[in-house]
Amino acid sequence: MSDRKIRVLLAKLGLDSHTVGVTVIAQSLRDAGMEVVYTGLRQTPDMVVQAAIQEDVDVIGISSLSGAQMQHIPKVLDRLREQEVDDKLVVVGGVIPDEDAESLKAAGVHAVFTMGARTGDIATYIREWWDTQRAQEA
Amino acid sequence: MERDPIVLAERAREGHQASGARLIRMLEEGDAGALDGLRALLPHAGRAHLLGITGPPGAGKSTLVDRVVGELRRRDQRVGVIAVDPSSPFSGGAILGDRVRMQTHATDPEVFIRSMATRGQLGGLARSSFEATTVLDAMGYDVVLIETVGVGQDEVDVVELAHTTAVVSIPGMGDDIQAIKAGILEIGDLFVVNKADLPGADRVAKQLTAMLHLREAPRDGWEPPIVKTEAERARGIPELVDVFESHRDHLESSGSLHRKAVRRRERVFHDLLRERAAARVLAAEPDAGRGVLSALASGELDPYAAVEALLGPDELSASRGVA
Amino acid sequence: MIGSSDLCTRVPELVPAPEEPAMSTAPNEPPAPDEVDAPQSPASLSAVSDSDSARQAEKNWRRDVLDPALAEQPERQDPFVSQQMQWPVKDLYTPGDLEEIGFDYLKDVGFPGQYPYTRGTTPTGYRQDLWTMLQVTGFGTANDSAERWAKMLEQGLNGFIIEYDLPTTNGYDSDHPLAEGEVARAGTAIDTLADMEQALDLPWDKLSHLNSVCNAPQPVNLAMILAALEKREIDPSSFTLQMSNAILIEYTCVGRYIYPPKHGLRIATDCIEYVIRHHPNWIPITVVSAQIYAARANPVQELAFGFSIAMEYLDATLARGFDIDEVAPYWSFVTGLEMDFFEAVSKLRAYRKIWARLMKERYGAKKPESMQLRLISSPGTTGLTLQQPLNNIARLGIQTLACALGGGAYAITTPLHDEAHALPSEEAVRVGIAVQNIVAHETGVADTVDPLAGSYMVESMTRRMEDEVFAEIERVDALGGALAAIEAGYFQKELARSQRDRHREIEDGIRKQVGVNHLVQEDEKRSIEMFKLGQEAEKKQVAQLVRVRTDRDETLVAKTLERVREAATSDENLVPPILEAVKAYATQGEICDVMRDVFGVYHPDSLTSGV
Repeated sequence: MSDRKIRVLLAKLGLDSHTVGVTVIAQSLRDAGMEVVYTGLRQTPDMVVQAAIQEDVDVIGISSLSGAQMQHIPKVLDRLREQEVDDKLVVVGGVIPDEDAESLKAAGVHAVFTMGARTGDIATYIREWWDTQRAQEA
Repeated sequence: MERDPIVLAERAREGHQASGARLIRMLEEGDAGALDGLRALLPHAGRAHLLGITGPPGAGKSTLVDRVVGELRRRDQRVGVIAVDPSSPFSGGAILGDRVRMQTHATDPEVFIRSMATRGQLGGLARSSFEATTVLDAMGYDVVLIETVGVGQDEVDVVELAHTTAVVSIPGMGDDIQAIKAGILEIGDLFVVNKADLPGADRVAKQLTAMLHLREAPRDGWEPPIVKTEAERARGIPELVDVFESHRDHLESSGSLHRKAVRRRERVFHDLLRERAAARVLAAEPDAGRGVLSALASGELDPYAAVEALLGPDELSASRGVA
Repeated sequence: MIGSSDLCTRVPELVPAPEEPAMSTAPNEPPAPDEVDAPQSPASLSAVSDSDSARQAEKNWRRDVLDPALAEQPERQDPFVSQQMQWPVKDLYTPGDLEEIGFDYLKDVGFPGQYPYTRGTTPTGYRQDLWTMLQVTGFGTANDSAERWAKMLEQGLNGFIIEYDLPTTNGYDSDHPLAEGEVARAGTAIDTLADMEQALDLPWDKLSHLNSVCNAPQPVNLAMILAALEKREIDPSSFTLQMSNAILIEYTCVGRYIYPPKHGLRIATDCIEYVIRHHPNWIPITVVSAQIYAARANPVQELAFGFSIAMEYLDATLARGFDIDEVAPYWSFVTGLEMDFFEAVSKLRAYRKIWARLMKERYGAKKPESMQLRLISSPGTTGLTLQQPLNNIARLGIQTLACALGGGAYAITTPLHDEAHALPSEEAVRVGIAVQNIVAHETGVADTVDPLAGSYMVESMTRRMEDEVFAEIERVDALGGALAAIEAGYFQKELARSQRDRHREIEDGIRKQVGVNHLVQEDEKRSIEMFKLGQEAEKKQVAQLVRVRTDRDETLVAKTLERVREAATSDENLVPPILEAVKAYATQGEICDVMRDVFGVYHPDSLTSGV
C-alpha cells in the first residue's frame, strides 16, 4: 500500500528575510499535496544539508531575494556532494540575474525560477521531475 | 542512493544518517520490502527512552523540545526527535515547521530531527511514527522525543507509543484545561505548565492537581508530577529532564516498561493485521471489491451489507457469535 | 470681459444657498477655537436636495436611462470590486449613500486642522508648505553613502532615509559568518562609530530631516548618531532625526529581529523614553505600517495591525511615567499606497480620523498635537512591476497624486521605478523627485485642501474603512493586544493568507496588472542587475572594522560592555551605557551580543504554520 508524497525542503539562507515568496510557495506546494519542511530564516549551508538528509526530502528549494545568494548556494551544492547526496532536486527561486542563474545551473542547480514564474509552474516542474525519477526506478 | 532495505538498515545501524532517513521514508510510503529493513533492526531496538510531548497548539511544545534536547545533549545523550504536524484534509499536503524552533541543533550530528505529517491518521501520530522511532532507537539514539499536537481526547496515539508522556499546558487557557479531557489526562505521566512566568500559572497547576486526584490511582504507584517551565528562558528544564529520567527508572523497577512493551507490540500487531487483512480481502477479487466500493459510494449498499458482500452473508449476524 | 458686477451676480449661484444658517446652530455658544469636539451640524449641510425626491429621481434614471443602455451592452464585468478590500463598487454613488451611513459633515469630516482631522492635520493643507520630498537610499560604505546623499541634497531633496545593510539591521558585524555577501549591499554598513562619523559628513545646512531605519539594534544606532553629531559639533536640535525603532513590525513580517518580542519592546521603549527626555524635537518611533502593507495586508489590516502595534508602544511608554499628551505627538507613521486610487485616498483620510479618535476616546488625550497624525506616505512598491519598468513611472505618478489628494502626509517618498531589477541610478532618483514635483506644481491638487471631501464615493469608502479598522482592532484587543498577537502568530497567519490570496488573484488574472497578466510582452527579456559592488565594499568595510578594533582601548571597551550587560539585566535605560560603549568604539555586533546573552535570541513559530 503506497502513500507517496513529495517532500520539499524550503530554506532561506543568510540574512535574507523576505518571506512573502517562500510563504506563497510553501502554501502552493502544500495545496498541491506535497509535504513542505520549512527550516526558517538564517540558514547556513550546513543546516540546510543536514536537514535535507534527515528529512529525506526529494527537493531542496532555496528562496533568494537579497542578492547574496551567489555566495551561499554553491556551498550547499558542495556540501551535498561531500555527503554523497546526488538524488535530490535543487531549485532556486527569487530575483536572480540571468548570468547568476547560469552560474548556479552550471554548479548543479536544476532550475532557477524568476520573473514571471507562476507558483503552479514550480509545483508542476517538481512533479514532472519526480514522475521521471519514479519511472526510472521501476 | 541505495534502496535495498536490508542494506539501508545495516548502514543506519552504523550511524549513516542518510540511510536511516531513507528507510524511514520507505516505511512512511509503505514501500514493499521496507518492513524487511525494519525487522532487521528490531533486535537492535528497545534501548531508547521514548518520550512523548503533547499538548494544544500555542503551548510552546517545540521550544520546550528544543530546550530538552539541549539539556539531554549536556548529559551526553544522543537524541532523536519526531515532530508530527497535521496534514491538510483538503490537499493531503502539509507544512511542517517544527524545525524552525530547533535551530540550535540543526548541525549537531548527534541530534536527528524528522518532521512527519499525520497523513489522515486521526490519533495525532502518523501511521509510520511507531516505525520511525524503532529506526532511531536501533540507530543508537538514547532518547527519542515524539512531539505531537494533542487537542483533546482523540490524540492518544502518543501514549501507546511513548514510555513517558508529558502533557504540556500554559496559563491563560482557562476553560481549555477542561478540553484536555479524559484520554490524555488519564494517561499522561507528567504534566508541564509552560510559560510559567505568565499570571495564572499557579492556578493551572492547582487545576491539574485537582483533576489528577479524580483519576484512578495508578497501578504501578507513580504519582504524576506537575513541572513548571519557562521554555524560552530554559527555566525548569533540568528539573523536567530529571523527572523523565526518574520515570524511566520507575518503569523499569515496577515492571511497567515490560507492560508497555506488550501493549505496544499488540497495538502494532492489531493495526497491521487489520490493514493487511482488509487489503487482502479487497485484493482477492479486485472486480468484486471495486464493485462493492462503488455500490457503497452510490448508496446501493449500506456499510454493513457491503462488509457482508465481501466476507459472506451472516458475517455480522448474532448467530455467528463473533465479537 | 467679465465686470465685477457680473461676478457679484454670478457668485451666489455657485454656493449652495443655505436653507438655514450655516454652522452656528450650535445651541448655546459658538465652538471655542481650540475646542476639540465638533458640534452637530444641521441635516441640511449634508443633504443637497430632498432625499425622497432624490431617491425617486434615481429610480427613474435607472429605469429610463441606465437600464436601456445596459440592455444594449452589459457592463465589462460583474461584480466590480475594489482591488484590495474587494468591496463591491457601485455603478453610481449619490447623496443617498451618504444618508445611508448617517454622514454628518461636521462630525465625520469637519475642518482641516480640527478634530477629527479627516480633512488634514493642518488648516492650510499644502498651501503654506508643500510636503517634504524624501527618497530612500543608502548603500555601500559610509563614504559612498555620504557622497550620494550630498548629491541628492544638491538636487532638491531636503532629507533622506538611511537604510542599513542586513548585517547592520540584524546586529552583526561585517566580518560575522552570516554577514558574508550581504555587507554594504541592501544599505549602508555601520559597524562602529567611525563609520557613522563618515556617513554623517554632509552639508548640514541643506538638511532638515533625516530618517534612520534601524529596528532591532536601534539603541546602538541612536547612540552612534548622537556620538557622531557630537564629534562633528552639530547641534541635534538643528534638524529632525526620525527613527524607525519599529521592532514589533519586524516580528510580524519583515524578519529583522534579534531578541524575543518582550525584550524587543523594552529596548524600543528605552529609546523612545531617552529621546523624549533629551531630544524632544526628534521623532523616536515610526510605525511603518507600510511594511505590513508590503506583506500584502489590505488597508484594513494595515491600519488595524499598525495601530494596535502603535498602542502597544504607547502603553509601554506611558508606563514609564508619562502623560498621553506628552508622548502621543511623537508617534509617527509611514504608509504605502496601492494602485486602487479611491482605496488609497480613503485610507489616508481614515488613517487620520482613526488616530484622532483613538487618542481622544481611548487615551483621553487633550492636546490637538496628540490627535494630529504624523504620516509619511509613499507609492507602494508592491504595485510596481518587474516587467516593463517604464510603466512604473506612470504608476508612481498616479500614486503620488493619490498621496497628495489624500493629504495630511507631511512627507512623501518615491521608490525608484526600476528598483526591482536595476542598480539605483541617478536617473531613477531624478525621475522620482521629478514625479513629486510634477504633482506638486503642475496639477493644482496641492492648491486646495482635501478636495475629494464630500465625494459620495470617497466618504462612503472612508467611513467603511474606519468601521472595519475599529472592528479589527477589537479582535486584536481580544487576543490581549499586539504583543500577545505577535507571540500567538496571529498577524503572521493573517498575512500568510493574504499573500497566498493576492498571489492567486494575479496568477489567475482576476486582478489585472499591465505587463504581468495583461498586455504582456511575451518576448520581454529583462536582465536583472543586482548589486555587484558587494565584494569591494565588503573588503573595505571589513578592513576598516579590523583597523578600528586594533586602534581602540580594549580595557575601556570591556568595561563599557559590562555596563551594558548590567543595564540589560536590570530596568535601567539601555541608551546611556550603550552611548559610552559606542564612544569607546565597541562594535555593533559586540553590543548586540551582550544583549543576546541576556535576552536570548528569537526563533519564532514557523511563519507558515497554521495556515
